[in-house]
Amino acid sequence: MIRRWRSVLRTPLGIAATALTVAVLVLAVVAPILWTDDANAVDTGNILAGPSGDHWAGTDNLGRDILFRTLVATRLSVELALAATAIAVVAGLVLGTAGFVLGRRPGRLVSAAINIAVAFPGILLALFFAVVFGVGATGAVLAIGFAGAPAFGRLTQTLVAGIESRDFISAARIAGVGRLRILVRHVLPNISEPLVVNATIGAGGALLSFAGLSFLGLGVQQPRYDWGRLLFDGISSIYVNPASALAPGAAVLIAGLAFNLFGESVAKGLGVGVVGGIPALPPVVPTLVTDEPLIEESHQAGTDLVLDVRDLEVTFPGARGPIRPVRGVSFAVRRGEAVGVVGESGSGKSLTALAVSRLVGEPGRVDASRLDLLGTDLRARDSRAQRQLLGTSLAMVFQDPMTSFNPTRRMGGQLAEVARHHQGLERRSALARAVDRLRSVRISEPERRARQYPHEFSGGMRQRAMIGMGLMGNPALIIADEPTTALDVTVQLQVLDLLQAIREADGVALVLISHDVTVVGEVCDRVLVMYAGRIVEDLPAAALSGEALHPYTRALVAAVPDMDTDLDQPLAVIPGRPVDPADVPPGCAYAARCPLASERCRVEDPALVPAGPGHRVACWHAGEPIDIEIADREEVRVP
Amino acid sequence: MSELRFDDVTVRYGHLTAVDRVSLTVPAGQVVGLVGESGSGKSTLARAAVGLAPVSGGRILLDGRPVPTRGRRRPLQMVFQDPYSSLDPRMSIGESVAEALPPGRSRDERRAEVYRLLELVHLDPGKAAVRPALLSGGQRQRVALARALAGDPQVVIADEITSALDVSIQGAVLNLVRELQRELGLSLLFISHNLAVVRYVASHVAVMRGGVIVEEGPTDRVLADPGHDYTRELLAAVPGSTPSSRPRRTP
Repeated sequence: MIRRWRSVLRTPLGIAATALTVAVLVLAVVAPILWTDDANAVDTGNILAGPSGDHWAGTDNLGRDILFRTLVATRLSVELALAATAIAVVAGLVLGTAGFVLGRRPGRLVSAAINIAVAFPGILLALFFAVVFGVGATGAVLAIGFAGAPAFGRLTQTLVAGIESRDFISAARIAGVGRLRILVRHVLPNISEPLVVNATIGAGGALLSFAGLSFLGLGVQQPRYDWGRLLFDGISSIYVNPASALAPGAAVLIAGLAFNLFGESVAKGLGVGVVGGIPALPPVVPTLVTDEPLIEESHQAGTDLVLDVRDLEVTFPGARGPIRPVRGVSFAVRRGEAVGVVGESGSGKSLTALAVSRLVGEPGRVDASRLDLLGTDLRARDSRAQRQLLGTSLAMVFQDPMTSFNPTRRMGGQLAEVARHHQGLERRSALARAVDRLRSVRISEPERRARQYPHEFSGGMRQRAMIGMGLMGNPALIIADEPTTALDVTVQLQVLDLLQAIREADGVALVLISHDVTVVGEVCDRVLVMYAGRIVEDLPAAALSGEALHPYTRALVAAVPDMDTDLDQPLAVIPGRPVDPADVPPGCAYAARCPLASERCRVEDPALVPAGPGHRVACWHAGEPIDIEIADREEVRVP
Repeated sequence: MSELRFDDVTVRYGHLTAVDRVSLTVPAGQVVGLVGESGSGKSTLARAAVGLAPVSGGRILLDGRPVPTRGRRRPLQMVFQDPYSSLDPRMSIGESVAEALPPGRSRDERRAEVYRLLELVHLDPGKAAVRPALLSGGQRQRVALARALAGDPQVVIADEITSALDVSIQGAVLNLVRELQRELGLSLLFISHNLAVVRYVASHVAVMRGGVIVEEGPTDRVLADPGHDYTRELLAAVPGSTPSSRPRRTP
């Protein structure tokens, strides 16, 4: 938390805004102590004078020094602005949280009231309240405070609604915690940051509103004075002495800017707005250390390679140096082959897929000693030909089919766009092809379906349509990233069967990424097991149960219950937790969780070496017997 | 040990009937698995039981009496699917667990109880002051279990508690659920879409579809000899079950 506050100060804007705000607040405290007498000194012989050595900003109609008056007015101006902000915040909090505390029906009434209040312009509300509360500083404070409350209430309401739907609120309710207590303990702490930021910005706004009201004569009255009052007095003599209006005007401007900029830099620093402050990656590409022997095996030779990847690395800039979630991955996919990639979340399996399809965007960086799709080097600069190749030869299927489509466009049009863009088809023929592709992915009544929007499709249908979109070209490779994780088991079966059928019919290669070993084992010919950004084992799918050599692969297979699991035995577990990509240990990354780990494992990283036909493994103790035991306690590591 | 009984329960959201006249019993000290696809109403049924969804017909009874959904004593507790959303990120895990403890204990007693509960779910009690952000998904789910147990419940509803977890962690959580259920003699309603997981945990299973329970019975009987077409369909869809028997299109 302190680190994040400190990051507010790291940007030039943050430092300037903070310094300015502090200066305004210090001035508000000390100015009246130091200069009240100077500000009230009447000099009848020198009224309405212009700037001079004695009076830098001239004098008013009683000959009082305008600069001193402006400085002294800082306290009242800031005080009133802060008081009004406090009223706005408190009233807004009460309004915004009323719905949560009172329950659904009364809550709806409150939010309707807020909606109506928000619809009125703030200055109109302020004028209205000024009339109600009477002309004067108190009335103005209440007016500006209550005028700001609806906007703040709306913000609070929105933030509360976001937190309210979270399960920990439900959990607290089930535990019998009262609503007010939940509000104080769970809701408010979780929405405090954006509220603080908006309150700061609101203070700047209140300052300006105050100056406005006083300027209109509705705010502070004689003999007290704030900047707005000074401005009001100064404007009448602006032709005689321009500085008499400019000095308080400049004060309003500076203080308003200070609060607003401070609020915004706090917002940035706390991550409410744009995230910043992470150093960019060094532009120099590090030399690749090929610690894996070049694999010239029979199954990689030949011309039927669809995808050839060597030493793939993906790097992202991190706060404490570059983070490398993919660390030297080499594999190849042949025509018509189905390769599964399994691993836990964070193992780098999805990033590997994204890197292959050139979807790793800034600030990430992809390095490889070879990255060939159908013999074309994908490492080359982005070009039309390359986009054409990726657009027609490579199909991507993502986990969440809802977010893969544009919700505002019809399905047919979205599919047709691919053909129009990459194959240059006419609108009509592109649409015809889209309908044909929808039919090929077993969507019934494809003509009618093509005119529908994504939300009218079920999850499984959307996923099939996504596959259909990939088939708009003539793909040689389909990369499916957890395509069935969001789907029900029965629908999962349909999608997997569809992928299988496409593969068998057209000789399309498939890379199936999944955390579920059983799914991969069923669909694929070959399985790549990834751990901490590396391939630790590459084996035929049939060898998964029984012939796997790496202890991690064996544990993964054993940890999943199937329909034949012994009910009397506890399930095998993998103790510990996956490796954090920002903190990869030396030696074998799996050593900390491995029952076979020896001293060598902790020091020396094993390379991926052949271990039989079509089998590679990276382990110093491959295939050694393991006594499966249950970890008694999970260690909570505190970094 | 208590018996949880859903008696002709209906839950409506506007015109949508999410749960349609469901009757289901979780016998005392038993584990009942509830399977079905998303939208079948199984989670709604669970939420209705703990008072998070409006019951528009029927009754939900605990040992013959309505389940209390007000006040501090809550004999029916629930563990949620997503451990990343079910723990307050601003609270230490100890505080989260302590919050669910029944009131009326001294500070020391509460701390001792939190330690005991963390110990029970195989977490290091010394780390009670840690925020959830430092825990893995599996560890968070353990905390969520400890919190559910803190209310000293008679019945626990586990709503898809392993589906948001990696398979490598799922096993450990399932082991823990089985162990706790046996040690504490809990009655447990275990909701999941994964038949293999339900088979491993539950002695009884109910299959739900479209807000209705279509089949119910002892797990081994239902899985070996399913009586409803939909159960058969679910069984056939379990990955790795019987790949050879499944019809596959040939080019």
